[in-house]
Amino acid sequence: MIEEHLDFNLLRKCADCGACYNVCPSCLYIEGYDPRAVIKDILKGDFEKWLHSEHIWQCLECHQCLELCYQHYGFENAMTAMRLLATKKGIHPAQVKRGWDMFVKTGRLGEPAMGQRKRLGLPEPKKSGKEEFLKLLAIYKERKAQEKNRGEAEL
Amino acid sequence: MKEFAVFWGCTIPARFPFIEKSVRTVLNGMGLPWRDCEGFTCCPEKSLINNIDHGLWVLTGARNIAIVDEQGLDLVSPCTGCISNLATIKGELHVDHRKKEEVNSMLKEVGRKFTGRAGLNHLVPFFHDKVGAFRIKSAIKKDFRGMRFAVHYGCHMMRPYHALKNDDPLEPKKFDTLISWLGGESVNYMTKLTCCGQGLDRVDQHPTALQMARVKLKELKSIGVDAMVLCCPSCFLQFDNNQFLMEKEGESYGIPVLYFTDLLGLAMGYSPEELGLNQHRISVDGFLEKWERLWAARDTEKKIAEEFKEEGAFI
Ligand code: SF4
Ligand code: SF4
Repeated sequence: MIEEHLDFNLLRKCADCGACYNVCPSCLYIEGYDPRAVIKDILKGDFEKWLHSEHIWQCLECHQCLELCYQHYGFENAMTAMRLLATKKGIHPAQVKRGWDMFVKTGRLGEPAMGQRKRLGLPEPKKSGKEEFLKLLAIYKERKAQEKNRGEAEL
Repeated sequence: MKEFAVFWGCTIPARFPFIEKSVRTVLNGMGLPWRDCEGFTCCPEKSLINNIDHGLWVLTGARNIAIVDEQGLDLVSPCTGCISNLATIKGELHVDHRKKEEVNSMLKEVGRKFTGRAGLNHLVPFFHDKVGAFRIKSAIKKDFRGMRFAVHYGCHMMRPYHALKNDDPLEPKKFDTLISWLGGESVNYMTKLTCCGQGLDRVDQHPTALQMARVKLKELKSIGVDAMVLCCPSCFLQFDNNQFLMEKEGESYGIPVLYFTDLLGLAMGYSPEELGLNQHRISVDGFLEKWERLWAARDTEKKIAEEFKEEGAFI
């Protein structure tokens, strides 16, 4: 399952390199944040403990590592994979779930501040694509369900 | 110049409508061919949506791009997150035809099609590349000579490079160049390219978010700048709101935070109120006063020189 998300050949080089420590803001300023330790555990097949760790949510997705990396890979890939696996198991900060819920209900992460807009003399915001988005979401979910059924039938 | 749509995103209209006002004022004041479009949704936000469902992240972004594709417009966003997400999605679909087909087969059911023809850019490199030095300098009435600015790029303005291709990803220059066109000095500082860290506030790690905000604020306080200039609502939240929260707890840095168009708008002659500067949490009064003082001193200098001249002095 983890192999689906990560290229182990690249990860192995990463485990030996560590150049990112010098540019990664979270490595530099947040105690205990150490993507290479995570990567080594992934390579050992022993990463479960990280799914519960607050550290995997401290990657800022700033892409400094990606740009610096001679493999154009980056520490962040390991952290993103960990977060994906964690959310699949329902382990994530409460705020992430709140944001997700709002997104699938409204297509947005916040509604325009109407009172403040009026006071500032801003025009009415344009209509959002909420209805069309919800339709598209239903289509997407249906496709995913079909795929899953097909997959199970093939097994 | 090709007509473009402005993609406001969620955060600016919801939390910082005064930034929207500032951007609108400047775009209109410069007479740029822009439009508001109907039908956009969240870009969508990477750290929230992509961590849960990559397929939906791509599909939603493709739909937003399809809206401008259909109208033959380019897209410009004042939010670094929005533009980075949209460009990443566009790039992903460009290299993966199967995925593109799959996405389009779903979009077709709501009457849309992603082609990816639309150019996507962030407002800052857009001003640098498309508006350009001549138009910007011609629009300026009062420049910022003598003022020191700390530019904060915002990671997603130019990263990932393979998707955005709009500035050097590790050593960007365009924002600094814009400041120099406005007459200001963009100071060099050690943590200049460090991420703001606001993402931590989205994953229930507020104290760590503040810790990241301090990294930059401490350095800027010690080297002394007149203001920080940035180009992203998340960075603004981190440095204006969160700086204010710390100030309330007695930890004061006193660094005014300006959005790029605030600076350009002031130089063009708009009042601080017209740009919504009175809505910032960290007061910009000290910054404005210094600017006024510098110009008043220049006026006095000029007057004295004229008087001398009238009296026949050789100057
Ligand atoms: S993307 Fe994440 S791992 Fe990479 S440099 Fe930024 S914070 Fe560090
Ligand atoms: S991501 Fe690339 S540069 Fe960073 S440690 Fe791994 S291999 Fe080295």
